[in-house]
Amino acid sequence: MRVSLFVTCLVDQLWSSVGTSCVAVLGRAGCEVEFDERQTCCGQPAFNTGYRREARRVAKRFIEVFEESKADAIVSPSGSCTAMVHHFPELFSDEPRWCERAEAIAARTHEFSSFLVRVLEIDDVGASWPGRLTWHDACHGLRDLNIKTEPRRLIRNVRGAELVEIENAESCCGFGGTFAVKYPEISLAILDQKIEAIERAGVQAVVSGDASCLMQIGGRLSRKGSNVRVMHLAELLNQT
Amino acid sequence: MNTGDARAEILRSIRTHLEASKRHDAVPSASDSAVDSNHEASLPLSRQSLSETAVAEVIQVFKRNLEAVDGQCVVVHSDAEVEETVKRITEGREVATPNASRSDLFKYEVGVTAAQAGIAETGTLVLDSSVERNRLVSLVPPVHIAILDASRIYPTLSETLNALHSGAELSPAITFITGPSRTADIELTLAIGVHGPQELHVIVVQNKS
Amino acid sequence: MNQLSSETFAENAKAALADDQLRDALRHATTLFGKRRSEAAASLSNWEDLRSQARAIKDDVLLHLDRYLETFVQNAETRGAKIHWARDAAEANAIITRLVVERGARNVVKSKSMTTEEIHLNAALERAGMQVVETDLGEYIIQLAGETPSHIIAPAIHKTKRQISELFTAELGMAPTDDVGQLTSTARSTLRERFARADVGISGVNFGIAETGTIAIVENEGNIRLTTSLPRTHIAVMGIEKLLPRFADLDVFLKLLPRSGTGQALSTYQSFITGTKRNASDEGPDELHIVLLDNGRSRMLAHPVTRQSLACIRCGACLNSCPVYQQIGGHAYGSVYPGPIGSVITPQLIGIQKAAQLPYASSLCGACREVCPVKIDIPRLLLHLRVQISEKQRNGRTKERLAFKLWAAIMTRPKLYETTAIAARLFQRWFKLPVKAWTSGRDLRPIETESFREHWRRTR
Repeated sequence: MRVSLFVTCLVDQLWSSVGTSCVAVLGRAGCEVEFDERQTCCGQPAFNTGYRREARRVAKRFIEVFEESKADAIVSPSGSCTAMVHHFPELFSDEPRWCERAEAIAARTHEFSSFLVRVLEIDDVGASWPGRLTWHDACHGLRDLNIKTEPRRLIRNVRGAELVEIENAESCCGFGGTFAVKYPEISLAILDQKIEAIERAGVQAVVSGDASCLMQIGGRLSRKGSNVRVMHLAELLNQT
Repeated sequence: MNTGDARAEILRSIRTHLEASKRHDAVPSASDSAVDSNHEASLPLSRQSLSETAVAEVIQVFKRNLEAVDGQCVVVHSDAEVEETVKRITEGREVATPNASRSDLFKYEVGVTAAQAGIAETGTLVLDSSVERNRLVSLVPPVHIAILDASRIYPTLSETLNALHSGAELSPAITFITGPSRTADIELTLAIGVHGPQELHVIVVQNKS
Repeated sequence: MNQLSSETFAENAKAALADDQLRDALRHATTLFGKRRSEAAASLSNWEDLRSQARAIKDDVLLHLDRYLETFVQNAETRGAKIHWARDAAEANAIITRLVVERGARNVVKSKSMTTEEIHLNAALERAGMQVVETDLGEYIIQLAGETPSHIIAPAIHKTKRQISELFTAELGMAPTDDVGQLTSTARSTLRERFARADVGISGVNFGIAETGTIAIVENEGNIRLTTSLPRTHIAVMGIEKLLPRFADLDVFLKLLPRSGTGQALSTYQSFITGTKRNASDEGPDELHIVLLDNGRSRMLAHPVTRQSLACIRCGACLNSCPVYQQIGGHAYGSVYPGPIGSVITPQLIGIQKAAQLPYASSLCGACREVCPVKIDIPRLLLHLRVQISEKQRNGRTKERLAFKLWAAIMTRPKLYETTAIAARLFQRWFKLPVKAWTSGRDLRPIETESFREHWRRTR
């Protein structure tokens, strides 16, 4: 199975170990991973802020780059970026030709955990990480892509790991892209409710499928002097 | 009279904006077909076709659901028992019947009416003001006693709505009552008995054959 | 208390966040409502089917709104109702004021109606010399307090028992108490006196049935029944979008509305009023006036994305599920309708100039879309409005626009992207610029020495 990695600009620049872990885990799962260096961004920041024209330009570039790939699937370690790609057809509702191309790309683009479990039908990648951890359901992955049981299945097969559920696992962390900087106080208030639950759960780590959520949660935990660390699912699954 | 202008303008505004939306509507109104088949496929139960056991079951469902919302329900089998039950509940208090005068209504502590139908799945009473003068008697006094014939209890809301709307035109005022009045407006704490009755007693009359 | 404005949303939100008592109340209420709603939804195995059916019915109504309105009006008039059409709030208030004054009325009892809040009816009636009393307990409380509702279905959710007791002591001379039953019965006896001498009753409408000309109104307290059956005149105010085609459609909506709002299978009372009484000696009002209100609704029909705003049945579920509303409550939105639905209809009703902040006050988490009984895609609507705002408010957003133009230029050129990224990372490592909006509450991850692609290149 040949996979083209859509690493996302955030992971590329600010959290490269998520990308390298992704590659390693996919490799162990029997995939040949290629990385097209011409990729940049999916366009989400512009799309979410209402700048459709700019989002379209960047989306077109994405489509052009990934169309050329002969890989069986495009895989991304981000639920929100994958969801954005799935929104591409909506961006091109007035341009039928681009819409078709967008639909083709969207059909081949998968979020990392969803790819492992639904496509490769693997839920054990031979990882081991002893400790208590909890899972945060990132909003787009959960609600746009229906990702809920897949990460949990993968985590339950990590040797030594004890998955503790927090009651607000499905609640937003408060990041929301530009929302976090347009309304920082509200963002933090929402975040603190998540942090409270995490601290009460007595875990050593919070795991999620979106680096943006992890930066939001991790940034606050660190500011509060907490020992709880944040890990992307790919990083967890790469622990052996 | 400006009403004519306002009506014309509003309708025109609706038509104009709907027209404008046409080019954005990807899919033609598939909802037209959805509209016909938009109900559960259950066939409306003819009330006469329910067997005695079915009636007994429907009564139990009704009673259970009514009691779950703090209503009280007693099943009796004769007019004498009805009278006895009403006497027991009223405990000598003044009773308003549908003949009570409006000005006196606020003085009564108990109001007694019939209920023209019931809904089992929610424990609901159906009051039809065109059949009985029960709108205010069932509302103003703090205790409401309703007498309901078991043969008039429909299993579901859907069947009840169909039955109400079958045949002649709808009654001017139909009221559904499910339990005593309530509110949770203060700190979400439940308080029973706000503007409507604080107590609801339903006497279900089940006649053998 | 002065009504807050949507234009100062950011400040309003900050003030709300500093109010610990409000936040506790909100947390308690929204958690409880949310829990009850999801239990009620789970108790119906066909919940998702019901949502789809409801949305299909609403789509049909909205796509043929003119026809359904005409049918409704014809049927209601045949049964004796008088119909009035109001293009906007001012017209609606003028109509209602005229009706009330013409009848020599002084005492008006009102039941809870967000539509009447929208048009600021009470103020208009009071200016005309009327005594208007809100009879819904939550609305009565905030009327006494001189406030506006902070939640679509639980208007006084932000008030504690103590605050209410203090209010009743001050306004009604009640002895202080923290017993909810006592507070309720104080309100009950005070309001019964008002009901008894009311000349006119004003209500809203939950659903208007086109097929029969019926208006359906739902409640738990009994004040709507009193408002619509005791006074001689009943005036019902109805947004034009509140129609359902058939009487039988009530089945779907009566299953969805109470469960979504409060978690109840059915509210205590439903009143189905069709025209006026048949005989003068019958119970009930002598006249029924139905005021049909547009006030910006017809405009929303112009696009499928905005049209769905009109499907709203005012259940309040989106408010309870919203992480933003949960933190700041309703008043901060500075609009009659708060929360997710408020964020999308307010800019459409009062114009994006006055409500430009609201569509951005969301993390787009989608919780609202999940709980909406009629499946309104609120996040999609928010994005639609953000596009409109970014296009129409060019002046206020020059920096932002240019930033995104630059961003797009960079993101469509991989080499430029890389160079810019390297430069930015170096800059950040050397100068540690605090991005204040971020770092005010969170630490920044240490900037990495090597990006993923640099690592890839190096190790391949």
